[in-house]
Amino acid sequence: MPPIIEARSLFKRYGDFVAVAGIDFEVAEGEFFGLLGPNGAGKSSTIRMVSGVLPITDGTLLVGGHDVYYEDREVKRMIGVIPQDDNLDEDLTVRRNLEVYARYYDIPKEVARPRIDEALELMQLQDWGNARIDNLSGGMKRRLVIARGLINEPRLLILDEPTTGLDPQARHLVWRKLRLLRERGVTILLTTHYMDEAEFLCDRLIIMDRGHNIAEGRPRELIARHAGRDVLEVHPTPAERDAVLAELESTIGESGRIERIEDVVYALGVTDHHRERVEALVNDPYRVHFRRANLEDVFLSLTGRALAE
Amino acid sequence: MTMTAPEDSRPLPARRRRPRGELPMVGLAIPGRLTYRVWQRNRDVFFRLWKAEVLPPLLEPLVTLLGLGLGLGAFVHLGGDVEYVQFLAPGILVAFPMFVATFEALYGAYFRMTQHGTYAAIAATPVRPEEIVAGEIVWAATRMTLNTALIAAVLLVLTPWLGLVGSPLIVLTIPIAFVTGILIGSIGIAYTSRAQSISQLSYFFSLFILPMFWFSGGFFPIDELPGWAQTLAWFFPLTHAVELSRALVTGNVSAGLIINVGWLAVAAVPAFWLGIAAMKQRIVK
Repeated sequence: MPPIIEARSLFKRYGDFVAVAGIDFEVAEGEFFGLLGPNGAGKSSTIRMVSGVLPITDGTLLVGGHDVYYEDREVKRMIGVIPQDDNLDEDLTVRRNLEVYARYYDIPKEVARPRIDEALELMQLQDWGNARIDNLSGGMKRRLVIARGLINEPRLLILDEPTTGLDPQARHLVWRKLRLLRERGVTILLTTHYMDEAEFLCDRLIIMDRGHNIAEGRPRELIARHAGRDVLEVHPTPAERDAVLAELESTIGESGRIERIEDVVYALGVTDHHRERVEALVNDPYRVHFRRANLEDVFLSLTGRALAE
Repeated sequence: MTMTAPEDSRPLPARRRRPRGELPMVGLAIPGRLTYRVWQRNRDVFFRLWKAEVLPPLLEPLVTLLGLGLGLGAFVHLGGDVEYVQFLAPGILVAFPMFVATFEALYGAYFRMTQHGTYAAIAATPVRPEEIVAGEIVWAATRMTLNTALIAAVLLVLTPWLGLVGSPLIVLTIPIAFVTGILIGSIGIAYTSRAQSISQLSYFFSLFILPMFWFSGGFFPIDELPGWAQTLAWFFPLTHAVELSRALVTGNVSAGLIINVGWLAVAAVPAFWLGIAAMKQRIVK
C-alpha cells in the first residue's frame, strides 16, 4: 500500500526565516506517527502544510496520493484537522457546531445526524448536545474539536499538540480516545513537545529541531540508539559539580555521554556502577537519579539542549 | 526558487509536479458553491441572536427619522411642498443599513478572523478561502438588504400620516441595497484584512463611513455644497444609492439613474475581488 503521507525535501520559508528546512518522511496507512520537538522546531508548519492550509515553499508533499499544492481540496476531504487552539463556534451549541461543520463538507443532513450522534458518544459528550461552548471544560472542548474532526470520516487525523493545556486526567482521556481511533484504522499524525505523550502514543516518530528532522524511528529504537538504556541525572551543588564531572568523565567510556543543562548533569549510557560512584560524591542521595532513558534524553543527546524549555 | 534534490535515489512519486511560483494555492479561484455554506453559518448564528441583532439597527433609523424629520424638520424649508421628513426617508432607507453591512465586515469579520478562529476552522475543510470571504461579503450585503426591507416596511406603515412613500418602486431599493452592501462589505473586509487591532477598525469608520453617511445627500442636498465636495461625494457608493433610493421612493424616475446603477454595478466587481484577494492573504499565510 502506498504511504498516506509522503514528504520529500519539504521546505517552508517565511521571508528569510526557514521554518522547515527540507525534511523527508513517510507515514503508512494505519500508523500513529508523531512529530516531536521543542517550540519553534517547525512541527506546526509541517502539519499545516500536510493539512493543505499552508502553501509549501518547496519540495513535494503527497497526502493520500494527492499533491497538496495542487489538490488541497481533495486532501481536505479525506483528513480531519484538530488545531492547537479550540476554534469552536462560540455562537452555536455543541451539536450545532458539528452540524454546521458537516455542511462545509457537503454532508447531507440525514447522513450527518447519525455521525454526529456517534462522534459525540465516542467523545463522551452525548449529554452535552445542547450546551453552550463556554459551559464546557477545557478537556470537553478538546474532545469536541476531535469529534468535529471526525465528521467527514477521515482516513487521516491530524492533531497539533492535542493535550497542551489540559490537566492530567483530561489528557489521559484524550490519549485513550486517540488510541481507540487508531484501533479503528484511522491514521494519526500528531505534534507534541511532551516526550511522554510521544512515547506512549506513537508507533513511529521524527524528532525535529530548528526545521530539521534530526532522528526518525520507533520510540524504543531511538532511545536505545541515542540514549542507551539507563541515565544518571545528578543535581550537584556547585562545590560538588567538578568532582562529579571528573568522576563521570573518567569512567563513562566510549558508549556514554555527558551533558549539562544549567545545574543538572546528565550521563547517558551508564550502569549501576556509575551511580554508586557518583552517590559517594554527592551528600544527598535524592539529588542523584538513576532511571531508564527516554525521548527527552534522545533530544538532549542529539542537540545538547532540553526538549521543554 | 529551485528544487532541492532528494537525498535518496528512490524513484519520485508518479504524481509529482514541480511547483510553479506560488500558484495555485496562493492564486485566486472564483468562489464556488461552498460560499453558500459560509453564508448559512452566519445566517444560523443570526437567527439564534436575532432579537439582539434586528431591533437596535431598526430603532436607530426610526428615532433619527422622527427626531430629525419632525423635530429639526420644523425649522427646515426645502422649497416646494416637500417636508423635511419626506426628504429624509429615502436617505435613511439606505444610509443606516450601510452601517449594518459595515459592522458585519469590520467587527464581525475581525472577531471571526482572530479571536474566534472561525476562518481557520473553515479553512481546514474543503471550503476555499475565497469562498469564506465571498460568503462573508454576501452575508454583509444580506444584512444590509434585510434592514432596508424592514425600514421600507416601516416607512410604508407611516406613509398615511407622513406621506413618506410615493411609489411602489420602493421595492427596487432592495436590490440596490444588496449591491451597495456587496460594495461596502468588500471594501470593509479588505480593510479588516489589514487591521492588527480592533481600535484600527474605527479609523475606517470615522474617516470613510461616517463622512459618506453625512455627505451622500441623505440628510441634505449635496448640490448646495462646493464643487470639490460634490466631486468627492460622487466617489461615495452611498451617494448613488441615495440618489436611486430617492427616485424610487418618490417615483421621480429618470433615464439619468442608469449612471447611478452603472456606477454601483461596475464598482462592485473590482471591490468584491479586492476584498477576496486581501482577506485570502490573511487567511492563507
